[in-house]
Parts: sequence; C-alpha cells; structure tokens
Amino acid sequence: MNSVLSNKKTILFFMLPASLIFLFIVIAPIFISAYYSSLEWDGIGKGVFIGLENYKDLFFGTRNIFYGSIGNSLLLAALSVFIQLPLAFLFARILAGGTAGEGFFRTVYFIPVIVSTVVIGQMWLKIYNPQYGLLNQFLEAIGRGTWKQEWLGNKDIALGAVFVPLLWQYVGYHILLFYAGIKTVPQELIEAARIDGASHSRITFNIVVPYIVSIIEICVILAVIGSLKTFDLIYVITGGGPLHATEVPTTVMFNTLFHRVNYGSGSAMAIFIILECLVLTLVIRYIFGRLSYDS
Amino acid sequence: MMLLRKGIIVVTLLAFAAIIFVGCQKSEESAQADAGDDGPVTIKVWTLWTDTTDDVNAVAFRKALDSAQTDLPDIVIEHDATENEAYKTKIKTAMAAEEAPDVFFAWGAGFVKQFVDAGKVEPLDEYMTDGTADRMKGGANTNFVFNGNTYGITFSQWVASLYCNQALFDEYGVQIPETYDDLMQAVETFNANDVYPITVGGKDKWPAMFWQNAFAIRTAGAETCNAALAGEASFDTPEFVKSAQLLADLVEADAFVDGALGLDYNESGALYLEGQAAMYYMGNWFAGDIAGHDSDIAENTVVARFPVIPNGKGDETQYLGGSIDGLCVSANSKHKEAAATVAKYLMEQVARNLAAAGEGLPTWNTDDVVSEKTNPVIDQIKSQIGNSTGYVLAWDTFLSGADADDHKNYVASIFGEELSAEEFAALMQDINE
Repeated sequence: MNSVLSNKKTILFFMLPASLIFLFIVIAPIFISAYYSSLEWDGIGKGVFIGLENYKDLFFGTRNIFYGSIGNSLLLAALSVFIQLPLAFLFARILAGGTAGEGFFRTVYFIPVIVSTVVIGQMWLKIYNPQYGLLNQFLEAIGRGTWKQEWLGNKDIALGAVFVPLLWQYVGYHILLFYAGIKTVPQELIEAARIDGASHSRITFNIVVPYIVSIIEICVILAVIGSLKTFDLIYVITGGGPLHATEVPTTVMFNTLFHRVNYGSGSAMAIFIILECLVLTLVIRYIFGRLSYDS
Repeated sequence: MMLLRKGIIVVTLLAFAAIIFVGCQKSEESAQADAGDDGPVTIKVWTLWTDTTDDVNAVAFRKALDSAQTDLPDIVIEHDATENEAYKTKIKTAMAAEEAPDVFFAWGAGFVKQFVDAGKVEPLDEYMTDGTADRMKGGANTNFVFNGNTYGITFSQWVASLYCNQALFDEYGVQIPETYDDLMQAVETFNANDVYPITVGGKDKWPAMFWQNAFAIRTAGAETCNAALAGEASFDTPEFVKSAQLLADLVEADAFVDGALGLDYNESGALYLEGQAAMYYMGNWFAGDIAGHDSDIAENTVVARFPVIPNGKGDETQYLGGSIDGLCVSANSKHKEAAATVAKYLMEQVARNLAAAGEGLPTWNTDDVVSEKTNPVIDQIKSQIGNSTGYVLAWDTFLSGADADDHKNYVASIFGEELSAEEFAALMQDINE
C-alpha cells in the first residue's frame, strides 16, 4: 500500500477528481469573470468587447460609490483586526486559563458562528428597530431617552450599527482558534515563568503570544479576508443603504450584476475584490514573516 | 504480489469510473425520452407565487393549476415558484444560460423588454386570435407590447392608493386629504399629537419612489409622465422639478416615520396595520394584508385618491399602476403551441379565481363570475378606478436595469435630503439622454 501511495502517478490519479472540481468550480470562474469584465454585457444578449473600459468606469466614473464601499470594507478589516481579535484573544486567554465553566462559555461564544446569518440579521433588525427595537427601549428604560436613534435609517450612524453585529458574530470563531492555540503552549514553560516571578501579563505577552504567532497570523488573514468579502449580513440588515452609507464592494457588485444588469462592470468588481484579497494576504504574510524573522 | 495489488486498485477505480459514466448516460437518455412526442406534453412554468396561504394571487394560481389537470388533459404542468427578489435573479440567469422554462412569469415594460430585445420571448398575437383577446379588457396587455407584437398575457392590474386610518383621523379631527394642503395640514396635526403621519419602507427604495411618481402624475399628468419615461419628453421641466420639491417639502415637514430609510416594506406596512401611522401609500395588494390583519384596521381603512396639486396637469382620476404582471412564452420552448395554451388558460383562470374570491383587479372580463366573498377595501378601490383616465407604471418597472436603479437612488436621496428638486430632474433627464 505504501509503495502505491508513494507512486507519483497514483498520487496524481487520486488527486485528479478533487483537482478537477477545484479547477472548474474555483479557478475557471475567476478567469471567466476576468473575461466578462472586458465586455459590455447585460447577461442575456451578446456581449461587446470593450477592453478595460469597465475598470476605467469603476475608478473614474461619475457618481462613484465604489471608492466609498472599499473604504467601508477596509475600515471593517481594521476594526476586525484591532478590536475583534484582541477581544477574542482576551476571552480565549481567560478561558484557557481554566475558569469555571470553561466548556460552557466556549460553547456560548461559538453559538453566533453556527447560527444562520439571516437569522442573526433579522435579530439585529429587531434590536435596532426605531419603533419597538430592544436598543431604543433599553435606552428609554435607563433614562437615556435622548440617546435614542434611527440606528439603520440615519446615514451617519448606520455603518457603525452594521459593524457591531459583524464583529460580534465572529468573535467566537476567533476565540476558538486562539483557545486551541493557547492550549498547545507547554504548561512547563508557563509554570517555569511563574516560578521565576513573571506576572500574568508578562506570561501572556512574552510566552503565549510568541508561541501562537502562527495562529495569530491565520486569524488576521481570516479576519481581513472575511471583512473584504463580507456580504450576507450587510445585505440582510441594510442592503447597502441608507443612501449607500453601508455599501461594501460585494453589495455594490451584487446590485450591479442583478439590479443594474451590468455583468461587465460587476465582473470587474469581482476581479478587483479577488486581487485586493490576494494582495492583502501577501502583505500580511510578509509582515508576519518579518515578525518571526526578527524574533 | 505488489503488482497484483496495484492491479486490483486500478481495476476497482476504473470500475467506479465506468459506473459513474454509465449512470450519467442513462439519465441523459431518459431525459430525451421525456421530450418525445408520445404521451402528454410537459410544460415547465416558473412563477413567483410561493406563498399559497396569504398571497391571494398565489392562492388563485394554485387553484388554476388544479383545474388545469382536468381542463388541459394532454398537458402536464410542472410548476416551480421562487420568491420575488430571488425570482428576478433566477429567471435572468436561466435566460442567459438558455435554460428558460416554457412559460414564465414576467413584469411588463422594462423588465421583460431586455428578454424581448434578446429574442428570448415568443410573440403571442397569433395564439390569441381564438377569442382570447376578446375576453380580455381593452389595453390589458399594453405593457407587454413591443414593436406591435404582444409578448405576454396579464391577469390583473394594480393601482396605488392612499390608505387612511379613519379612526386616527377622527380622533384628532383631521379630514382625509384631498389636496396637498390638506395633506400638509394632516401631517402637522398628527406630528403635534405624536402619531406618525405617513409610513414608508425606504430601505426597499420602491415604496419611497411611489411618492415622487405619484406627485409627478399630479404635477405633469399621466400622459407627460409616460412620454418622459419612454424618452419622448424631457424630465427637466418645472412639473417634474415640482414633483420632487413637493416630496422634499413633505420630508422637511417630518411627514414620514422615523428611520424611514432603514425600514423595509413589511416593517413599514406593520406600522399602518397596527394603527401607529395614519397614512400609507401602497398598491392594492396591501388590501389583502389589511383584510387579513387581526384588528379593526379593515373597518377603519378609508381608501383615498392621491391628493391633487393646485394647478397640476393631472387630475384625481389618474393613477399610479397598470397591468404589468403576466405570463410569457419562451422563444426556445419546444412546444410553443402548448405553452401558449397553458399561459392563456392559467391567466384567465387566475383572473376568474381572483374575481370569485373578491380580490385583485382582473384584466379579463369576469362579470359573469359570482364572488364568494368580498374585501371591502378592494371594493373601495374598484369603485374609485371606475372612471380612470390614465395610468402610469411605477417608474422602476417602466425603466430597466441601471436606469431603474438610478431613479430609485435619486428619490432616496430626496428622502435623505442630499439632492435638490432641480438636481433630481436634471439627473432624471440624464437617464433619457
């Protein structure tokens, strides 16, 4: 059996079905999209080849909402990395330290991740509803009635209101990753440090963090990529509105493809999102590569 | 020994592969057998009528499908329903992939035009000379006519009305608005008493758009609206500027519910049904929600015409609405004759079933149908539109694709006080050029 599995041809043969599926379902559509992005096409009739015109429109067109949407998604990525991840790490560190009810809390924090996004969206819609929403009622109850807002109807605060559930939803996911990482830190190291008189925070930053830097890298990549291609929750909660205030590249793309029936321009956006994710992944990997090299 | 094992593995894998390929082959063959001429013809029908408990159209359609089994014995109808927004995406994708069903639901004007332009829809004129055309009301299929050919058959029309909660109007001594000044007066009084004057679902954009569209019918008149939408007249005129300005004034006067731009259609409608908002401008389909709601809102609802504007070119007998929902036959259908028969039969039966249920506004002559029950709200609407002199479709259905999307965004910008009335009219004219 071993010799069969070490045979290059056999490996290739077994890899073939999965590779083919991957090729046709993931890789090929990217190239097809790239081709579509060079067409002026309504998705039904015949497309006309127009070269890079769609990209030109995307970045230099009038009444451009694409820049704003990129800004929103980058802001979300930043919040994700600098608020969501530290929070997740803090919780994971506390949990992994062996608090009472460790398993219980681990499950509780993970619940939002397994609940369908549409359900979460509907729940937050009810929380934010200006007439009977939980949030406004709560503010009223604690005597802060003046803080009541049209959370999703006001273009100045809708973006913040949408980000809260987005960040909240995946905290549990990162907690679990960090938790698993922290559990792999050898107990002897921590005990030795404690005997030497190291404080709790010193153990955290000088032993735990360096030990799980590869997990942190994965979390950062997942958080950034996830933010750049986030779609479902925003689509359910605001649909990119009011007045494009909560638009992200994917919602603009969806609208362009299916409501404005402009497949060329929509495909150009898709290609941009792919490249954006690719470049940022490489940048993050480079930064972490330097970090581990330095230490 | 090793060789033998290798051989066994390879043979097993090959056998699996063979089974899979044979399996594929089989299913293709059986699919071809279905398309043969022997036996009943299978006609695929796609609609958006998923909800057969609350949606009156869906209920009527379900009944029509049931009666088709006995009335059209040679045809097997395969019905597939998808919810509204998803349906739009699905039918477009199917059209692009040449996988459209034989008969499909479509909206007239802008939506179906893209399919007609691409040559995907079968003209139905020759199939309708069998007396079908005579059984329909005049102009029923206007929105499906392109280049003189009829590409779809409708079953009912829609019309938007201003639903007013009489109980709230009585409580605060306000009269149901007939003019714009009345409306403003009502808004002021309701606001002073902490009642939302008007509810609107701005998140979905089209309910908000209704308001500007309705004002335009009053300021410019139905004929001018239709001409401008068709690109034969300008949007950049004082009348269209005024339609936007009147809406901007309403927004300024706080006429609409808090957070209107964040509420969807259902949330906004609930505010009216629950008696928290006094007025709601919506299509006649909302009459079903009113009648079905578990409160006294049905008795309290007075259906009003959209307020008239002093010196406006359109009078109170012109409406936002029209007949735009219908069935089309795919040009790629293998059984066009049967498909056309199905489309005609289903649409006529849906119209008759609606008439029997006392719902909807059928575009077929249904005077001979005896109503089993009546919806008082629908009856109010029916009596109002008896003397109608003009209809304008919701602009987002008349326009298509990017134009429709732009238009809705422009109206939303008026709600968000980001766009002036003059800018709005100029931008609308840009669409035309």
